[in-house]
Amino acid sequence: MQTPGALYEQPNRASHKGFLPGILLAALLAPPLIAAIRGQAPPDVSGFEHFTRSLAEVACADGLNLVGSLYIAETILLGMLTAVAFAFPPGKHPVFTALRNQGALLSALLLLIAMPFVIAWGTDSSICERGKSFFWQSVFIEAFILAALAISYNLIFGFIGVISFGHAAFFGAGAYGVGLLIHHLEWPLGSAVLGALLVSVAMGVFVSVIALRIRGLYFAIFTLVFAEIFFVLAQNRIMVNITGAEDGFTFAVPDWINATKNRITFYYLGLAYLVGAFLLVRQIVNSPTGRVMHAIRDNEDRAIMLGYNTFTYKMLAIVLAGTLACGAGILRGLLNKGASPSVLSISFTMDPLLMTLIGGAGTFIGPVIGAFLLHLVEQALRDTVIPIAGIEINIGERWFLILGVIFIVIVIAFPTGIAGTLQSWWNKWTARRNARAPSR
Amino acid sequence: MSLQTATVLRSNTFRSSLLFSAAFIALLVLVNFALFNPGQVSVVVLSGLYQGMLFFLVSAGFSIVFGLLDVLNLAQGSFFMLGAYIGFAVYGSFPEGTPVWARFMAAIMAATLGGGLLGALTESALIRPLYARPVFQIVLTFGLGIVFTELVRAIYGPAGLIPIQPPAALDTTFPILGARFETYRVFIIVVGAVLMAAILLLLQRTRIGIIIRAGVQDSEMVQALGINIRRIFTLVFALGCAVAALGGITAAPYLGAFPSMGDQFLLSAVIVVVLGGMSSFEGTVIASILVGLTRATAEQISLQYLQTPVLASLSILLIMIVVLLVRPSGLFGREN
Repeated sequence: MQTPGALYEQPNRASHKGFLPGILLAALLAPPLIAAIRGQAPPDVSGFEHFTRSLAEVACADGLNLVGSLYIAETILLGMLTAVAFAFPPGKHPVFTALRNQGALLSALLLLIAMPFVIAWGTDSSICERGKSFFWQSVFIEAFILAALAISYNLIFGFIGVISFGHAAFFGAGAYGVGLLIHHLEWPLGSAVLGALLVSVAMGVFVSVIALRIRGLYFAIFTLVFAEIFFVLAQNRIMVNITGAEDGFTFAVPDWINATKNRITFYYLGLAYLVGAFLLVRQIVNSPTGRVMHAIRDNEDRAIMLGYNTFTYKMLAIVLAGTLACGAGILRGLLNKGASPSVLSISFTMDPLLMTLIGGAGTFIGPVIGAFLLHLVEQALRDTVIPIAGIEINIGERWFLILGVIFIVIVIAFPTGIAGTLQSWWNKWTARRNARAPSR
Repeated sequence: MSLQTATVLRSNTFRSSLLFSAAFIALLVLVNFALFNPGQVSVVVLSGLYQGMLFFLVSAGFSIVFGLLDVLNLAQGSFFMLGAYIGFAVYGSFPEGTPVWARFMAAIMAATLGGGLLGALTESALIRPLYARPVFQIVLTFGLGIVFTELVRAIYGPAGLIPIQPPAALDTTFPILGARFETYRVFIIVVGAVLMAAILLLLQRTRIGIIIRAGVQDSEMVQALGINIRRIFTLVFALGCAVAALGGITAAPYLGAFPSMGDQFLLSAVIVVVLGGMSSFEGTVIASILVGLTRATAEQISLQYLQTPVLASLSILLIMIVVLLVRPSGLFGREN
C-alpha cells in the first residue's frame, strides 16, 4: 500500500486479480487436453457420466501416464515458484504478490489433484488398482470429508463463537437422509441429495429458532441433547426396519459414483466438495456479513448495541454450517454405501472440534490442516509400535490418548492452533526483516 | 393443567419451584400406581431413587464448580470412573485374610481422596491458566475426559474389571410388597442422601460454605474482602471431583468398572444440572431425584409395552428440551 499514488496501484491490482486462478485453470485442463491430442483419450466424451468414466479409463490405462506426470510436474513447478516468491525479499511485481498470497494454497490443491498419481507411483500400482492404491485414495477421501466437516464446524465455532456439541446430528442427517431416501423411497440420487440437504436446512432453522434464545453453554448443551436424540433413535431396536438399528443399513448407488468400482471419480468429487466448502466459507467470512459475525464473536452485546440483529447472523451461520456438514455426511454415506449409528455419535462432533482447534480455530486453512494431519497421521501410523521407557506403545490402539494429550497441549499453549501460531511467527519474522531493511 | 404448569414455571420463587417438583414427582408416582401393581411401583420408585442418586453424585460437582468457577467440567464423568478404578486397585491390594468390610471402607476412602487430589491437581495445573478464556476451559475438560478414559483403557484394558465384593450384609436382596430389590442399591441411595445432606450443611452452616455461596454471587467481591478465592476454587473443584469419585466406587460393585462408565452418566448429569438451574445446589438435589424417577418410570413403561428401554433415555432428553425452552435458567436457577 505504500506505493506512490493510485495510478500505479489500480492497473497492477486489476491485472493480477484472477492471474493465478487462470493459471490454475490452465494447469488443470492442460494435461487431459495434451493427452487427448496425443491420442490417449477415448474420443467419446459426451455427457458428464461418460466424461468422468473416460477420464478414469485414460488414467487407468497405465500406472503413471502422461496426465499424471504432467500434474506432478505442475505441482512441483508452482510449489517452487511460490517458495521463490516467499524466500526473496518482497518484490512489488504482481506475479510475486499473487504467488505470495495464493501460491501455497494453489500448490496444495495441485498436489491433491496429483495425489492419486503420486500414490500410484509410490506404491508401484495403477490408480485404479485395488489394494494399496485404493486404500490410500479412500484415506484421502475420508480426509476430504472430515476437512469439509471441520470447515463447517469452524464457521460457527471459530468465526461466530457459538459452541455446538451437536454437529454430528447434521453429519448423520446427511448419511442417513440420503440413504433412507434412496433405500426406502427409491428416490434417484440427485433428489435424495437435495432432500437430505433440505432436511438439514430445516434442522438448522429448528435448532436456531428454538435454542438461540439461550446463550453460550445452554446452547451447547441443547445441541448435545438434540444430537443424542437422533443417536438414540437411530440405533434403537424399535427402528430396526427403518434404520437397521445398531448394524445400520446399506443402499445401492449409481455406478459412476460407486467408490468400489470407480474410486478415482469419488476422489475428485470429494476434493471438489472440500474446495467448494472452503471457498464458500471464505467468501462469506470476508463479506460484510462476515464482519458482523466477527463482531458477534468478539462481543455480542456490543454488536447488539450497534443495532445488529445478531440472531439472524447466528442462524445464518448455523444453517449454513449444518448444510455443509450434511453435504459431508452425504459423501460419507455414498462412500460407504451405507449408514450406521456411528455417524451420529459424539465422535463426529468431537473430531471436527479437535481438528478445528489443532489446526487453528478462526483461520480458513486451520480446519483443513487439522483434518489432514490427524486423519493421515492416524492412518499412516496405525500399525506402528514405538517403545518409550520400556513400554511399547501401539499408535493405532492408543490414538485417542495421544490425540487427547496433543489437544490439551494445544488448548493451553497454542490457542490459535497450528495455522494461527505459524501465522504469528511469520508475521513476527517479516516484521523483524522489514525493520532490518526499512528502505525497501 | 398446562396453563397452571406454565404459571408455576414462570414464577421465580424457590417455593413454587419446589411445589412444582413435588407435584411432578407425585404425578409420576400416580402414573406408576395406575399402570403397575404395588410391588412393581416400589421397585420403580426405588430404582428411580437409585438412578437419581448416581446422577446426583456425578452432577453435584458440576453444579458447585459451575456456580463458583463458571467452568463446565466435562471430565466429571471420568472422575466417576477413576474413583471406581482407584477403589478397585486399593481393594485388590489388601492381603487375602482382611475382612471384606475393612477392604471396602478403605477402597471408598482411597477413591474419594484420590479423586479429590486429582481434582486439585487438575484445577491448579490445567484449568487455572485458562480463566481468561472460558470457552477453552470447556473444551479442555472435554479433552481431559478423553485422556483419563483412554489412559485407563490403556492400563487396564477395554473390557472392565470384575466387580469387587461388597460386605455380605449389603450383598443380598430383600422383599418389598411382593417384589424383591437389591440391598446394595438401597445402600447407594443412603450414601447419596447422606452426601446430599452433608454438602447442604457444608454450604449452609459452615464458614467455608458461606464463602462459597458468596463466591457464587460475586467472586471478585469475595476476593476484595481479603479471601484467597483461588484456594477456594481449587478446594471446590477438588470437592466436586471427590464426590464424583466416591460415587464411582460406591456404584462400581453393582455396575462393575469399565473405561466408559462415566460417559453414560455424563449426559444425564448435565441434564440434571441444567434442569435444576446451573448454579443452584438445591436445584441439582431435587432435579436429580426428579430425573431418576422419570427415567425409571419411562423405562418400566417402555419395557412393558415396547419390550425395549428406549423411552428411558428419550424421556429425559425430551424433558430437558422442554425445560430449556420454557425456562432456560432451569427450575431453581436465577434468571439473568
